Amino acid sequence: MNALVLLTLILFVSMTIIGGKKGVRSFVALFINFIVLIITVLIMTDPSANPILLTIIACILISCTTLFFINEVNHKTKTAFVSTILTTVLLLFFIAFITERTMIQGFADEEIEGLTTFSFYLGVDFVKIAASVIIMSTIGAVADEAISISSPMFEIYRHNPHLSQKELFLSGIRIGKDLLGSSANTLFFAFFGGYLALLIRFKDLNYSFGQIMNAKVFRAEMVTILCAGIGVALIIPITAFITSYVLVKFEVGKEQ
Amino acid sequence: MPLKKQLASLWRIRVSFLLLFLAFVGSMLFVYHNHSFYEDAIVEIVETSLEDRTEVTDGYDNQDIIFTQHLLGELRNGDYKGESIYIVHEYTASGVYHPEFSVGDELFVVIDQPLAGEMLTGGILDVKRDQDLLFLAWVFIFVLLIVGKRQGFLAVISLFVNAVIISYALDVYIHTSNIRLLLMMGIAVILMTILSLLLISGFHERTYAAIVATLLGTFLLLLIAVFVLWLTEEQGLRYEEMAFLTRPPQTVFVAGLLVGSLGAVMDVAVTISSSLFGLYEKNHSISNKDLKSSGMEIGKDIMGTMTNILFFAYVSGTIPSLLLYFMNDAPLGFALSMNLSLELTRALAGGIGIVLTIPIGLYTTIFFVNRKRVKV
Repeated sequence: MNALVLLTLILFVSMTIIGGKKGVRSFVALFINFIVLIITVLIMTDPSANPILLTIIACILISCTTLFFINEVNHKTKTAFVSTILTTVLLLFFIAFITERTMIQGFADEEIEGLTTFSFYLGVDFVKIAASVIIMSTIGAVADEAISISSPMFEIYRHNPHLSQKELFLSGIRIGKDLLGSSANTLFFAFFGGYLALLIRFKDLNYSFGQIMNAKVFRAEMVTILCAGIGVALIIPITAFITSYVLVKFEVGKEQ
Repeated sequence: MPLKKQLASLWRIRVSFLLLFLAFVGSMLFVYHNHSFYEDAIVEIVETSLEDRTEVTDGYDNQDIIFTQHLLGELRNGDYKGESIYIVHEYTASGVYHPEFSVGDELFVVIDQPLAGEMLTGGILDVKRDQDLLFLAWVFIFVLLIVGKRQGFLAVISLFVNAVIISYALDVYIHTSNIRLLLMMGIAVILMTILSLLLISGFHERTYAAIVATLLGTFLLLLIAVFVLWLTEEQGLRYEEMAFLTRPPQTVFVAGLLVGSLGAVMDVAVTISSSLFGLYEKNHSISNKDLKSSGMEIGKDIMGTMTNILFFAYVSGTIPSLLLYFMNDAPLGFALSMNLSLELTRALAGGIGIVLTIPIGLYTTIFFVNRKRVKV
């Protein structure tokens, strides 16, 4: 039996037993997101398609699945959705600038070794692709934080409807700050785990500190880690602001 | 007195920001002038000219443009410091391998054997980009500090400490013969769990519960992953993407899987333990049954988004090579299995770890709550 199939089965069974209906929905959401990702990459092969625009569309679809399908369509998930998309778009411009500056696009020597039979004359703008990789790897964490901040803010407002927008904003920041450490860690360790092989290679081949710092593949990893960290921090004030604005301006929290 | 205290803390914040700012300026100045610390020759480009532009179509109807750029540079370090060098550079419009260079860029080069009376020539090794990397690192530190204050500071520290632990564990593994990578990473995982969770939530009962739950969850996940790989004889796993390794890829892969899921498992454990302890603090007579059902509800809420985080963190990195395979007309199934098998295995195993940590965290926390109940 295929290892992937068996792991998928185990994941499905444990999600169903522990999560019930919501567990099944979460599993289906993973599957949908996988399909969205593959289709996005397939469309990216067309050089006339703008990878940045495609990434934004993919992020919208992915956050829809994560927020609306696993949870449900309500004011909490809607504000989380708007915050996620706004953060993603803001971040995307910053990341596109950084990838251009750090020249991390495309492939490094280490990655190209096994791919010599391939044609690299692809005509697709790999600077934009590099930016899209970074944003896609943080979208899960950003959406998660958005809902984890907006949802308790609605609860706070429901219990204390007299709070001002500023007070609500500050309580959102407080909630977010408590989440920051573990969200950042989730991403950091995921990246560390993925990069372990490369670190071993660097150490095996006795790369000097300066060589590691300037090696394209290491640069790309560091840029990903740092941008992901910036992303999980930026979503906090953005979500806190949008949620407090929506709560006070439209008084949506009261009707629930 | 409180006013005095407030002023004192205000001063402390000002002083630490000043120090931080000085560190920022100092380190930025350093990377812009650190050429003499590098062994490889560094060239600063002073003139570029575009010599040739060829449109190419590869065997799969992909169209690209090859540019040939002539670069005139000045050496910034080494024996030939100050001398001019002439470099021919080729890049494509897609920038898939080499980027276009412009005046002011700095490159690591190998200098060709110099001929008497002629200008130096050389080939490009890589771009010097440590300045931008450092700048980004500072943006990261400042954003986390401004948004997260104390928690942001701890997140930065935790990233740094964990990176050092992993790096040190790898050093020990590489320089010691007959030591298992998995054992080293196992020790590192225990250390990192304790440190990170103490940094995130301090010295409390809830932290101890989270530490125990994380370790149980992570090692159970490892056990399941290893068992599945053994049972299926690793069918479906393609280790080709780790071909650059000088070591057997299987062990490295399993060690990476262990480290990679740690953050997510910690997140789940700490969420469950702090919310259950929060419920207990509010109402000391809350029953175990109520704690259990609340814990399960919380677990259901975070399960979906947590598995998503890991999934995207792993799978997104394969986009460039997926594109490469697709555009070289590789069959869909082949492209997917070559590029995604390891990442999907990591994501799936991590997902299993996340889901299993929900009940583990729940029972561990209840155990710790009951211990506290007895004490009170």
